[in-house]
Amino acid sequence: MASEQPQQGGIRLKVRVNGEQHESVVDPRMNLADYLREELRLTATHVGCEHGVCGICNVLVDGQTVRSCLMLAVQVDGKEVLTVEGLAEGGKLHPIQEAFIEEHGLQCGFCTGGFMMAICELFDRNPSPSEEEIKEVVGGQICRCTGYNAILRSVQNAAAKMGASRS
Amino acid sequence: MAIEIPKNLDELPTTRPRYVGRGIRRVEDVGLLTGRVEFVDDVVLPRMLHCAILRSPFPHARITGVDTQAAEALEGVAAVVTGEDARRWSLPAQSSPEGWGTHCIAGDKVHYVGEPVAAVAASSRRVAEDALELIEVDYEPLEPVADPFKAMKPESPQVLDAQETNVMLDRVFTWGDVDGAFAEAAHVFQEKFRWNRLGANPTETFGCISEWDPMSLDLTIHGSIQSPGMFGLGRAATFSLPSNKVNIISHAHGGSFGGKGGTRGCDISCLLSRKVDGRPVKWIEDRGEYLLSGGGQAWDRHYEVALAVDAQGIVSGLKVGLVDDLGATGEAYGAISAAKPLAAFTGPYTIPVAQYDLKLVATNKLPCGPYRGMGPPPHFFVLEQMMDIAARSLGEDPAEFRRKNFIPADQFPYTIASGNEYDSGNYGEVLDQVLALSDYSALRAAQVEARAEGRLVGVGVANAIEPGVFDWNAYAIVGMPGTGVPEGATVNIDILGNATVRVGFSLEGQGQYTLVCQLVADYFGYEPENVRVVQLDTQSAPPSFGPGGSRLGVAITGAVLGACERIREKMARVVAVLMQSEPENIEFMDGKFTLKGAPGAEMTVAEVAGTMLARSDLLPPDIDPRPEATHVWTAAGRTPADEEGRAKSYLTAAHAVHIVQVEIDPETGMVEIQRYCLADDCGTRLNPDTVEGQTEGSVVQGIGAALLEEYVYDEDAQPLTTSFMDYLMPTVFDAPKLEMVAVETPSPFTPLGAKGCGEGAIHTTPAAVMCAINDALAPLGTSAREVPAAPMRLWKLIKEARERASDENNNY
Repeated sequence: MASEQPQQGGIRLKVRVNGEQHESVVDPRMNLADYLREELRLTATHVGCEHGVCGICNVLVDGQTVRSCLMLAVQVDGKEVLTVEGLAEGGKLHPIQEAFIEEHGLQCGFCTGGFMMAICELFDRNPSPSEEEIKEVVGGQICRCTGYNAILRSVQNAAAKMGASRS
Repeated sequence: MAIEIPKNLDELPTTRPRYVGRGIRRVEDVGLLTGRVEFVDDVVLPRMLHCAILRSPFPHARITGVDTQAAEALEGVAAVVTGEDARRWSLPAQSSPEGWGTHCIAGDKVHYVGEPVAAVAASSRRVAEDALELIEVDYEPLEPVADPFKAMKPESPQVLDAQETNVMLDRVFTWGDVDGAFAEAAHVFQEKFRWNRLGANPTETFGCISEWDPMSLDLTIHGSIQSPGMFGLGRAATFSLPSNKVNIISHAHGGSFGGKGGTRGCDISCLLSRKVDGRPVKWIEDRGEYLLSGGGQAWDRHYEVALAVDAQGIVSGLKVGLVDDLGATGEAYGAISAAKPLAAFTGPYTIPVAQYDLKLVATNKLPCGPYRGMGPPPHFFVLEQMMDIAARSLGEDPAEFRRKNFIPADQFPYTIASGNEYDSGNYGEVLDQVLALSDYSALRAAQVEARAEGRLVGVGVANAIEPGVFDWNAYAIVGMPGTGVPEGATVNIDILGNATVRVGFSLEGQGQYTLVCQLVADYFGYEPENVRVVQLDTQSAPPSFGPGGSRLGVAITGAVLGACERIREKMARVVAVLMQSEPENIEFMDGKFTLKGAPGAEMTVAEVAGTMLARSDLLPPDIDPRPEATHVWTAAGRTPADEEGRAKSYLTAAHAVHIVQVEIDPETGMVEIQRYCLADDCGTRLNPDTVEGQTEGSVVQGIGAALLEEYVYDEDAQPLTTSFMDYLMPTVFDAPKLEMVAVETPSPFTPLGAKGCGEGAIHTTPAAVMCAINDALAPLGTSAREVPAAPMRLWKLIKEARERASDENNNY
């Protein structure tokens, strides 16, 4: 199997991921991306560069965007993690996911999760961001397929959708 | 019975196409957005091990010893392989020019930094990487060569021991009386250009899981593989296996752009699997490995170009000299990139004669592989600079200078000097559209004002041909044999009338599964979301190449429509029997079979399928009762290449004109793209939204090429760009707002008149941006001839130009 045998120096970790409580013993050097993917088998968090530049592995930790390749699993002890698997609920897509479909904001789809998580955090802070504010967030990650125009349209569309659902 | 594949949308058996020709929601998206699509690194197989690869820190060194004992003793390590295992169980890479391939793990000598030297299979990637640190390799460093001009000299260090030279190919291809054209020319323009190494960098690197059973010798590979069929044949050749012993299961992958690479790593995981008795071995390339030694470096080129122009300003001849640095071994089909320009050598122009002086050279750098466009983007970059040099020198507007050299719309199909035939085009119309879109005269007026204020504002006009639907014959000059690239699809209607289409390629991002659904929906009167597309592995799939060479949209359309036609033909025979008539009296439209002259006598596709499967007893014995058909589509009329490489190769010729406005900050050398307008014509647009997506993405990759991306090596061939901090990928801040307009000149040769369009804008963008930069620099009397036009390079040019100007002033 992917995971290693329980380690002698393993550290106990309690974390809530997408609303579900998990308890694990992890190698101190295991990063959060590997923990989510290998231990919890939540494989929607993709890994693009493993050095914190591309933003594809973004997850939310206590509501903050985090590069899961740069954070150790043990650092999320006692915290709340949201991943792409936590976006759609009850068989219904999240408005951000809907918007990406409508605006063709994805092609290969490998990087999209990282964008969506960062945008989730943006909307929590600022439900109606300006184009510059959107660019500030989108500018932190890399997409090789779309050329970003369609991603900007997707975020604007999502903001409109979520605004409409609030009012 | 011969089938007829619809040549245009009107020939589809529907009153009005409801889906083909429109943008629709992609069937791929929900799975991708929820993380349910399985990428290869998501796959876990029973008893799976993990591979890590030890790589050479030297560009050129003799290996005098490899000690793996300590690594093998580490807990969790299952096996270690070295060059010895590679020599025992595999052959050198077949993707190099003949005689230039090496084994997947170095033997006596390393040829570039990052070349595999040993590899470990262990219980986890972390343990495997720990084990790498315990492997002792003794190197005797040798003098490296990083510069292809030095490499061509007799006294140069030899990259490969097996060769007596570093020159893989040195030939001049001449098409027509080039010397005559240059002798008679009123003007001859010459210039040198440098295109630095860049590459694909898909967001997902390569990955695979290999299972090679040492008893049966069956080899199964899961992977993020762009061309599963070719990849499987390659592995069969490398491991001397019968091709039916190799099965490739390609997973959805996070982009490719030709640069997925991975063959060396995959071969190494196969060797490890064989050594551990067939247990699955996963190898996931990390980004550092990709940048250092992956499949994504391409086009390390030095050009010397000459253009002959007559007294009327008509271009009468073109000479292109190219020294192409293919890196150490030329593996991964890098040489193809130098051959592909033959498919569109003279661009959209009537240039009657041309010459290609081509040198493929080995150095101690990573072997170059494919990248989106596969060679023509640098070629058009130099051709379009030459057109600007000529226009500027003759005092002509760059748009109008191009226009008068265009192939006229009434001369298609048109055979170019290098042998390929362009299917159709309306270049003047495409130019008119983008001139109007950009309000070109206003751009020029604004430029005059900006120049008066001393600002460096430039407007670039550039255009290119995108060869579409590749054929192997285009690459004959670098030794690729053969003609014809088949693509197959099986369409099946089940007992309840639902359609499933089985194909041989995986999701990559271009939306081809959506296209398949659109086609079947319009053909049979279905809804696209009810059509299911299933990908088969290579042992089950119909013949398939998959995406590549801007072919799949056209090819899969031919395959799917061909299969639909075959089902219709078979069903019409069934309906004829049931209605006690003849097949020629049965008509098919909007999903219904009707009997001519018998109103009310009709059957739906579902009814016919249900009858065929549930009541096959009613069918005549010569009818196969499956409502299923496979069609294999291949481009018609392709010809073998002649001695000079001339062939009818790529089936379609798409065209685009881009107009770009830039401003350069003279204090920093930074380029700001202020407007980006384009018009393009890729024939019938089967899904305009996905075509637009390909264009938008390709423009930004082209901007990366023009301004940012470069794999830098020092003079000792040490790579200096091994992270995304050093290799600069475009972000949203580098992506201009795009203004686009479409022209549709259908191809007379393809299903529905569509042309290849997936590689797209990268053919034109680097040229257009560079034309704009040089237009901005023109008042300073300097020009940039090297991409990327990074701030440091432009700043230096501007500074030198100003110093020259002030020296001249001082001399007065």
